[in-house]
Amino acid sequence: MIELHEVTKRYGSLTAVDRISFSVAKGEYFSLLGPNGAGKTTIVKMLLDFTRPTSGTLSVNGLSSKDPACRTAVGYLAENPRIPPNLTGWQYLHRCAELLGMRRSEATEQSGKIVELIGMKGREHTKASTYSRGMIQRFGLGAALTGNPKLLILDEPTSGLDPIGIREIRQLLESLKHQGMTILLNSHLLSEVEKICDTAAIINSGKLLLKDSISSIIKDGETLEDVFVRLVKG
Amino acid sequence: METPKAHSIVLIIAKYSFADEVRQKSMIVMFMISALFVFLLRECYQGDYMVNGQALSADAIAWTLSKVIFHVIAAGAMFIAALLTMRVFKRDREEGMLSCILAKPIDRWQYVAGKILGLWALSVLFMFILHGIVFFIASLSMKTLVPAYLVASLLCSINLLFVVLAVFLLSLMLPDIAAFLCAVGIGLASLAANSIYALSQSQMGQAMMQQSSEQASSGFTGWKAVYYLWPNLFGTQQSAATLIGNDGGVPVYPLMNVLFYCLILGVLLFLRFRNEEIV
Repeated sequence: MIELHEVTKRYGSLTAVDRISFSVAKGEYFSLLGPNGAGKTTIVKMLLDFTRPTSGTLSVNGLSSKDPACRTAVGYLAENPRIPPNLTGWQYLHRCAELLGMRRSEATEQSGKIVELIGMKGREHTKASTYSRGMIQRFGLGAALTGNPKLLILDEPTSGLDPIGIREIRQLLESLKHQGMTILLNSHLLSEVEKICDTAAIINSGKLLLKDSISSIIKDGETLEDVFVRLVKG
Repeated sequence: METPKAHSIVLIIAKYSFADEVRQKSMIVMFMISALFVFLLRECYQGDYMVNGQALSADAIAWTLSKVIFHVIAAGAMFIAALLTMRVFKRDREEGMLSCILAKPIDRWQYVAGKILGLWALSVLFMFILHGIVFFIASLSMKTLVPAYLVASLLCSINLLFVVLAVFLLSLMLPDIAAFLCAVGIGLASLAANSIYALSQSQMGQAMMQQSSEQASSGFTGWKAVYYLWPNLFGTQQSAATLIGNDGGVPVYPLMNVLFYCLILGVLLFLRFRNEEIV
């Protein structure tokens, strides 16, 4: 579903991503872990063609990331999702649905379903300028789920949510996984990743330190956090 | 769900760009002030005017006023188009719509084309409504309809396309306000070049050139070069205005000039945006 081959991204003299290769299989729940500035968001941006790699190739759904068609059936939640303040959450979701080529009636139906799915029923017709960070995060996730994607790319999906919200989102993501959706998750919440992901890759300073299944990474009573700290601190 | 056709995505983005601008309070205020200003001009049609001690006929007043107001509105519309366009990319970036749109199977050219279409359509509508008000006032005053007035307004939409393209391109490279000021500068230089060119073509200008020094003559020649090579926005307005009074054939050169620049700017804009980093 996702393949990176020898991908490097340089910003001037800074190497944000250094010859990284990995793949994410269909139906896999994959987590990209690393400290701030490790290069996780840069990888996501390259997958979505927001920025081009200096060298190497990336493919999504078997197509080069440069081809917009590769983003068919791909949902994306940004690290800090934003909604135009003069739109309501419902208008935002409706707009996202129309941009995917849905007819007005289809988009209306889809937006209604998504509002229920993200637990925002009753607040969907108020302006986004009145929403809390957590509510914007939910609508952002709703936008990513619009159009029933096969691949979800989530950059810190639980950021800004309270513990109950985090649990609800985790449950939602687990149910999506059981429906066969492939998920690429960027997260700092290692305990969450440990609970729900199949595979994880740990990167630091743009380099891939480890990529394996969660069960293989965690050994001898260690937690994912222990492994992460050990690897990142060298 | 069907795979959307490229042009339908462009139209959807154009529709939303149009709607987003109309929702802006500043846009509504600008439109109300402009419409009020144009509406107040109806008083000018009812005044008595004397030139060299002779009263002008009502028809002459109406024709002259209509032409002057036509130019003022066309120039004002360019100004407003530049104001509307200068913040569009930045706002989409800041409000998350840019990444939201481009994370979908939408090509960058579709996004840019949608934005251009939406902003251009809005600017043209803005100008057309104001010209329409003048058209009705003038028609009532002269007791005859002048449909060429509206055709001339549509011809001026080429200028608005130029302004939208230029400000979009410049706003990718410069701060928004600098992009706006550059567009205004292009318009002012065009006005100066046209005025000097018109003077050089007049009898007075010809006489001045014959009598003046070589330096002054080369100055005229320099402005003539600017007239031919610079984006001829004011020339396009004048070409369109010739339709209003049936002042002979419409000069085609300024229209071709601006269309050529639109093509160049369009290509540069698409190329520039193709390599833009999305944050």
